[in-house]
Amino acid sequence: MYSSYTTKFGQLFYVIKHDDGSETHFTNESPYYQAYLKWLEAGNQPLPADTGA
Amino acid sequence: MAYGTVSADIIQSSVPGVSLGAGNASIMKNRIINGAMVISQYNGTNSVTLGAVNPQYTLDRWCFQTSQASKISTQQNQNSVTPPVGFSNYLGITSLSAYSSGSSDYFDVTQRIEGFNTADLGWGTANAKTVTLSFWVQSSLTGTFSGALNNNTGGGSGASYVFTYSIPVANTWTQISVTVPGSTSGTWSGASNAASIYVTFNLGSGSSFLTSTTNSWTSPGQYFGSTGSVSVVGTNGATFYITGVQLEVGSSATGFEYRQYQQELALCQRYCYAQDNRAGGIYYVFGTMAAQTSSNAFCIVPYAVTMRATPNSVTFSAANTFYSDPSNANYTGAQIDQLGKTTGVFTLTGTSGLTPGYAGRILSNNTAAAYVIWSAEL
Repeated sequence: MYSSYTTKFGQLFYVIKHDDGSETHFTNESPYYQAYLKWLEAGNQPLPADTGA
Repeated sequence: MAYGTVSADIIQSSVPGVSLGAGNASIMKNRIINGAMVISQYNGTNSVTLGAVNPQYTLDRWCFQTSQASKISTQQNQNSVTPPVGFSNYLGITSLSAYSSGSSDYFDVTQRIEGFNTADLGWGTANAKTVTLSFWVQSSLTGTFSGALNNNTGGGSGASYVFTYSIPVANTWTQISVTVPGSTSGTWSGASNAASIYVTFNLGSGSSFLTSTTNSWTSPGQYFGSTGSVSVVGTNGATFYITGVQLEVGSSATGFEYRQYQQELALCQRYCYAQDNRAGGIYYVFGTMAAQTSSNAFCIVPYAVTMRATPNSVTFSAANTFYSDPSNANYTGAQIDQLGKTTGVFTLTGTSGLTPGYAGRILSNNTAAAYVIWSAEL
């Protein structure tokens, strides 16, 4: 499952929440981003965006 | 004393496998990083079943491109075979099924070399230099295998050199050497931090990524292997092990360039910096803590080396594996605060009782293995 947040400096990060509680936070320049786009194309919906720390 | 001239591409010593080449240097001649498969920051010695995410980095600098999930498992020193003489590690690959690749499937393991490390080769110009790729390989399968050097460009500026090699005896290490004339066509990254040469070993890609034109440059074209070559993923349980990968200037393979461990690790850390105590230990220090609010704390992390670029992904272990001292705080969340090429800052959230402005340190707690992996891979 994916979610996202924007830092206070305005950078958008996407988050993969893994089953073991670990998380991968990535930008649109990451290889993970293409997988995220495919996931969206498959009709999935990300979790609501977090507000950021 | 006058300088002499040796008109040879290779100067062979009396010690087998030890030689000097035409690469203008006997150190840093190998454009491959972690060619001896020594560094494994992402997964240590754990086995990984590959998904369909591309690229997937396992051993440092080596990425898999797989179009189908759960067809390959990979691990450093998988199945504990004896490495070739002079090596302690290898990249192990096992096929998890007998998969018949479709035309658009791809399965390969690749090193994407940064432009700064290949610009002197002059590829894409009339002055392109010849290089030689050498490696040790072992497989449970025999026959003609294939790989490629390419620029990962499928359009008119694409260029691929597909090579074949033979593994005549199963489960026996074989050293392969492939000499590749410099590419005078295609678009190659110059002196920049972008990817330039992709050194690819085909593991069973489909026909869209295979060509029958071998041992010469094809442009345009993006190919990973040759038509009819052995497909590792096509045989359930098939193994493919590789180490000692070297790409050097010249028309002959010279002795493998062994680097000191710390030197190789630092080269890898330009692309991946793992803060990791999964191999053991407690209270691993991640960085300086500064309490931002009563519930959130910064962790400031200077990287080991300057990274290739600002990290494009960061992986955190579960937030409750982190801990701060003083305040003995435990956390429920982690987020990026700010990233740079030399320093990263993340924020731990969801605790209470911090005194804003107070400083300390962020640690792993005393029961769980915490890690943060900063990645600026190509």
